[in-house]
Amino acid sequence: MPDPLLQVIHSPVTAIALTLAAFLCAIWLYRRSGWLVLQPVLVTMLIIIAGIRLLGLEYQAYREAVLPISWLLGPATVALAVPLYRNLRRIRQTLWPVILTLLVGGVAIVALTLLFAYWLGADLPVLMTLATKSVTMPIAMPLAEQLGGIAALAAVLVMLTGVAGTAMLPPLLNLCGVQHPAARGMAYGMNAHAVGTARALEEGDECGAFAALAMGALGAMTAVLLPLAVLLLKATLGW
Amino acid sequence: MIKGLLLLLVMQAAGALLQLLYLPMLPGPVIGLLLLLVFLLLLGRIPACLEQVSVVLFQYLPLLLAVPATGILLGGDVLLTQLPAISGALLFSLLLCIPLCGWLMQRLIGDKRGCLIRCCRSYTRRSPRSR
Repeated sequence: MPDPLLQVIHSPVTAIALTLAAFLCAIWLYRRSGWLVLQPVLVTMLIIIAGIRLLGLEYQAYREAVLPISWLLGPATVALAVPLYRNLRRIRQTLWPVILTLLVGGVAIVALTLLFAYWLGADLPVLMTLATKSVTMPIAMPLAEQLGGIAALAAVLVMLTGVAGTAMLPPLLNLCGVQHPAARGMAYGMNAHAVGTARALEEGDECGAFAALAMGALGAMTAVLLPLAVLLLKATLGW
Repeated sequence: MIKGLLLLLVMQAAGALLQLLYLPMLPGPVIGLLLLLVFLLLLGRIPACLEQVSVVLFQYLPLLLAVPATGILLGGDVLLTQLPAISGALLFSLLLCIPLCGWLMQRLIGDKRGCLIRCCRSYTRRSPRSR
């Protein structure tokens, strides 16, 4: 007969309790310290990983156990239509700035990332994966695969970008004097996708709306344009 | 609240259906977001039930995102072998693109708020002299 204690540790209840406890710790730490680098997403993730390791849980079993929590991410994404709708008039007024920022910023994000990675010696599959790093995860994973990258790595890079970006965004924007909520929201959504949007919603409704818009539009744009750009690039470079 | 959640789920399911039929490159929830936006435009207002459920969901967004973020445990091998190139590229590009996106957008919308602050400052600077 298996050890009763072990049986409880490996039951879904422990996994869910671990996740909720990690979130509460992270929120407490975030509010107490007021330190933006301690992103709730980052800290929650680290505590959960530490918990999984300490308790000796199987990762796949953990993910199945916390399905009651993680399925809510779908409806939460759909609900981003609410701040978008509420700020639709503001968005319509700034339609051209939004489109221009998306195009220029989107190209710069992909080009600069690839340039630095190539220069630092990344190989082709990693480059193709890195090209998708600023796009929300459900778009990035199939896209990376389509480009000849690695889907599992894409998921990791997307999360790293989101977490690192959200930690870097507020100080960098303050440093550059970017105060307008629409401009801050665009920067949040384009550079740190969903994690940045969660942070932008903390700053306010308008900021959150522009972040959701930037995240969705950049994702759709990248999904359509990046494969074309890669095809052209491969043809011209003769890979 | 439950009514709002049901509405979100119906939109998500419709989005998933559209994804399977016509739009394989966009994720179902993102299509669901667009569908809900169209629905709200047709309705002309935000139903109270939807408002309630979205407030609750956004409050716990970091929790919902932290769970898929733990997937970092899986893709670790390739990440470790090329860590300098990957982390360097991520950090450098964020360092340049964050100011670029924010600054560009703020310039393009004319930064009315910034102008206002500047006007106020110049006013307060001038006012003691004029007195």
